[in-house]
Amino acid sequence: MSSELDEDQKTGRFDRALWLKIFRFILPYKRSAIGLCITAAVVVGCDVAIPLFTGMIVDAVTTPNPDGKALVLWPYLLGYVGTFVVLCVCIWSFIMLAGVINSHVSADIRTAAFSKLQKLQLAYYDRRAVGWLMARLTSDCNTLSRVLAWGTLDIVWGTMVIIGVSISMFILDWRLALLVLTIVPLLVLLARSFQLKLLISSRQMKKTNSLITASFNEGISGVRTTKTMVREGQNLAEFQELTGRMFGSSVRNQMLHAIFIPAVTSVCAIGVALALWRGGVLVLAGEVSLGKLVTFLQYAGFLAGPAQELANTLTMIQNAQASAERVQGLLDEPVTIQDDESVLEPAQAKIDTIEFKDVEFEYLPGQIVLHTFNLTVKSGQTIALVGATGGGKSTIVSLASRFYQPTRGQVLVNGIDYTSLPLLWLQQRMGIVLQQPHLFSGTIRENIRYGKLDATDQQIEAAARLTNATTFIDTLVGKFDAKVGEGGNQLSTGQKQLIALARAVVADPQVFIMDEATSSVDTQAERDIQIAVDRVLKGRISFVIAHRLSTIRGADVILVIDQGKVVERGNHHDLINRRGRYFELYTNQFTQEREEVLMHSS
Amino acid sequence: MTTPSIAKPSDKKAALLWSLSKGHRKLYLFSGLAMVAGSLLSYGQPLIVGAALDYALSAQILSEQTNTQKESRLSLLVVNLMGGPDFVRSNLYLAALAALGITVVSGVLIYLKSKYAAIASEGIAKDLRDKLFDHLQHLPCAYHDKAQTGDLVQRATSDVDTVRLFYSDQIVEVARAITLLLAAIPVLIYLDPILAMVAVSVLPLIVLFALIFFWKVQGAFKKLDEAEGQMTATLQENLTGVRVVRAFARQAFEEERFARANTLHRTLNWKLFKIMAVYWSVSDLLCFLQMALVLIVGAVRVESGAISVGTMVSCLFAAGLYIWPVRQMGRILTELGKAMVAAGRINEVFEQPRETTAAMDLPALQTGRLTFQNVSIRRGETDVLSDVSFELLPGKTVALLGPSGSGKSTVVQILLRLLDPDSGRVLLGETDIQTVSRKSVRANVAAVLQEPFLFSKTVNQNIKLGRHSATDQEAIEVAQAAVVHDSIVRFDKQYETMVGERGVTLSGGQRQRLAIARALLREAPILVLDDALSAVDTHTEASIIEALRSRRDHNDGAQSTLLIAHRLSTLRHADEILVFDHGRIVQRGTHESLLAEPGMYKKLWSIQSELEEDLERETEHAGVSSAAELAVLP
Repeated sequence: MSSELDEDQKTGRFDRALWLKIFRFILPYKRSAIGLCITAAVVVGCDVAIPLFTGMIVDAVTTPNPDGKALVLWPYLLGYVGTFVVLCVCIWSFIMLAGVINSHVSADIRTAAFSKLQKLQLAYYDRRAVGWLMARLTSDCNTLSRVLAWGTLDIVWGTMVIIGVSISMFILDWRLALLVLTIVPLLVLLARSFQLKLLISSRQMKKTNSLITASFNEGISGVRTTKTMVREGQNLAEFQELTGRMFGSSVRNQMLHAIFIPAVTSVCAIGVALALWRGGVLVLAGEVSLGKLVTFLQYAGFLAGPAQELANTLTMIQNAQASAERVQGLLDEPVTIQDDESVLEPAQAKIDTIEFKDVEFEYLPGQIVLHTFNLTVKSGQTIALVGATGGGKSTIVSLASRFYQPTRGQVLVNGIDYTSLPLLWLQQRMGIVLQQPHLFSGTIRENIRYGKLDATDQQIEAAARLTNATTFIDTLVGKFDAKVGEGGNQLSTGQKQLIALARAVVADPQVFIMDEATSSVDTQAERDIQIAVDRVLKGRISFVIAHRLSTIRGADVILVIDQGKVVERGNHHDLINRRGRYFELYTNQFTQEREEVLMHSS
Repeated sequence: MTTPSIAKPSDKKAALLWSLSKGHRKLYLFSGLAMVAGSLLSYGQPLIVGAALDYALSAQILSEQTNTQKESRLSLLVVNLMGGPDFVRSNLYLAALAALGITVVSGVLIYLKSKYAAIASEGIAKDLRDKLFDHLQHLPCAYHDKAQTGDLVQRATSDVDTVRLFYSDQIVEVARAITLLLAAIPVLIYLDPILAMVAVSVLPLIVLFALIFFWKVQGAFKKLDEAEGQMTATLQENLTGVRVVRAFARQAFEEERFARANTLHRTLNWKLFKIMAVYWSVSDLLCFLQMALVLIVGAVRVESGAISVGTMVSCLFAAGLYIWPVRQMGRILTELGKAMVAAGRINEVFEQPRETTAAMDLPALQTGRLTFQNVSIRRGETDVLSDVSFELLPGKTVALLGPSGSGKSTVVQILLRLLDPDSGRVLLGETDIQTVSRKSVRANVAAVLQEPFLFSKTVNQNIKLGRHSATDQEAIEVAQAAVVHDSIVRFDKQYETMVGERGVTLSGGQRQRLAIARALLREAPILVLDDALSAVDTHTEASIIEALRSRRDHNDGAQSTLLIAHRLSTLRHADEILVFDHGRIVQRGTHESLLAEPGMYKKLWSIQSELEEDLERETEHAGVSSAAELAVLP
């Protein structure tokens, strides 16, 4: 969140290079864009023509009729009505064309951003909240596509109207034209000064608004703490300070709008007044027809529209610049873990060994989270990683699965540095079960099938049986076709972990990684699963992060990790007899598990 | 949520909307007056220009014709006000200045209208936000346990914003359209009654068309919303599950899944644009039709000599002023429906009863004496607590032990009056806590709850939530007692470090210890630790317990402690240990007395000996460790 606010801080100038990049998203819809410009030109033609018609009618009426013939107004009226109809058609085509651009460009930007996100390394995700990333693909995309479709349209129309009206005025009478057009620089000046003020005030509003939302969130989530601390009064006072600030900036923003619009109208009224005064004199002198004067008067009043529109659009674009920066930032983010040209599909289909050779890893330069780490694992071996949270256990398995790459040293798969192997080849051979067992909304069957897209129903059910998930699946309405809810929220964490385990089992991976994969399954059930897991792990390489003793005890090698270093290494027997760190962890865990069993059995 | 009282929902919503405007109505009145005056004056410019055209400029050509027409009396009046046709003709700049002046004055009035409306509507929004925030704080925990935070936040933010728009834009726009119309009609009738009738003839059709249209397309809007929801959900699942996606190398599958949702959204979005294109062009056509009718009928009447050209132009101009605001009415009326829905959703929150409160306060206690007398509470068919009695004396510690769900936390909730018992009494000192205000009870208890909540403030501010007036030195002292000081000083900004969403992420243990520090700062006579040390390691736990004991002895031993924990090492020194099961106290006594009788406590204690046996076995087998397993060592 802080980074978001920081990016909003840039009051910055208009960034042309950035907008050019964003503008590229319109290119596939060149035809619609050109159509839009043509439509805008037609509309401007109509806008310019209507006052002309009015002027002609006035002239027709006021010119004394020498022949005494009746006044023929119909051609003018037809012109009017024709123009109206053309305008309506233009409005229709405006919305259709801008609609094409708006809806397609937003979908395109989203697609581009989404596929970029699929390629980006996990380190990118570690530094950003999901909500922040979501906002890039939702509100930012919407803002950008809106600006690209409608902002462009408004600018094209606004500029063309001003130019069109000016040209028409010059053709009619250059003296009056010069006079009336003196208001244009005034309008520009006015629009620019307001536009900057509007920009600043709308940003301030947005920022305060997000603080208010955060306060509501906190007030509701922290309601128990508030009550027990008797903090209601203090909280309300702090909240009122925020809403007070919101009140101030919103009123300021609306007042700016409130001044701006009458100000533009008044400046245009200057044009009208000038035209009436000098034009009237010219009419009286017989140099200009009354109709022409009427046309001028209408033109002068008409300039208010495009001036307001341009100012608003420019504000909108500058407001959207923050969105553009964030989206482009995502699209430009370098992908650090990907296949380069030198990768070779290995002849061997099976992973026999994984070797960590002097591996070091740092999240941020200078912050080493794993120091010179060496380990060789052969097919059939189970490695257990134990130790305090944040010690580096997860880093090791993330390096093994190439979610991260070593900062120094190498990870060798079958003796080959894995950066010269295809990413997909490696990851297809891995099965990873995480502590947070993320499920996708859908049925249990679909979730297990995620591990192997072409798995048969029998394979899915077998995997579920193997991991003991069937015990609870059978109690559900719909069994395997029961919906798990959004993020699996219809199930308990323990149940989700079992499904996640079945999902990995059905994939039949050669390397199995379990990161606290059964932490929320109760102790009794875990023992049953352990038997299944032992069966699953047979003949594979496996890395297990766990605190449950049953999982750790049988491992071939136990590594005790603390602050990025291996502090103890060996099997259960050796480490117990060493009476060191592992011994301490083991005795604590032993007591805790037994207590848990007792508490639950009562 | 569905209370029987919402039988007539629309009335209630309207009542809420009306009651919210209380205290701001005067501003709306000013705003309305400014708007009426401003709108009337906005007719002034065309009138002056028209009069000047009619009498001063075209008079020399058409004087005979125009002067005979009674309909032009208004223009004549205007011209006469400015000094007569001849004067105006020779001093045209005066007419120009008048036209400019009247526009500026009307502009100022319009500005005042917007200003007052802005102050009023933003004031209403502020009041509404404040009221909601305070109401939410005072709703019972039982309500918050059931309600979803996201839903409540949405009501408090986007629904409030919808209601705000109702006050800031919609009311104002509707009033403006009506005013402009009402101001124009007399002018039109005065100018030419027949043309006036023509000038409003299509208006009902325009409004009706908009109403029917927006009513019809609501389905399309809803579908689009659903598609958007679907797309967002897919996106969110992908992002939160990114590790799973990578673990199974399912990027391509995910891109396809997202593309489906994205394409559906795009299609529906595009469809809506197509519908809107029809709406805007047709409604514009209707508006143009209205103008064209005025023009054609006007032309006919000019031709027949019934009215002057100036009159016709004025009529056209007047129609042009109101026709566009009136067109917006259809859309605004539909949006009014949204405001009603939002108001209804907000009202649902307001209709939830607040926690009850008593007039009398419990005086601040000097010593912590707590008595539970036959307290029972049922929820549905199950006894959450049945017949629980115990006494906690000043300076003493009572520990509660038992499986999760056995009622330990309910005891704490009753003590804090977050929950009221069905029967039995709870006394603080000599006072039944049911007879005094909830806040005064809570003020006498310093509680650390199971999952402590920290606010997005600095460490220092979070600790001082316990007591606002505390000094920095006191904050450091309690942090030291809670064994969290050393962790804090390792942060970059030490006590000024932000915690929560916008700051450092604390570990569970650090959070718990910070919450303990916060509670210690309260200096309340009763300290409650509800499983408050579960994420703290055994060693640290021991130091905290020791620090608590020495603090208590230091403070005359008046503070008493209610302790819930699951580690025996934490509990064993308590003066009395209560073992809970299924809402009842099944065993009570000291560590020694409980060890002497059969029961859960004894069983728990025997784990220690099991461990020793287990270790014994390992040591016997020590010699057999296999060489193969050691081969992987470097």
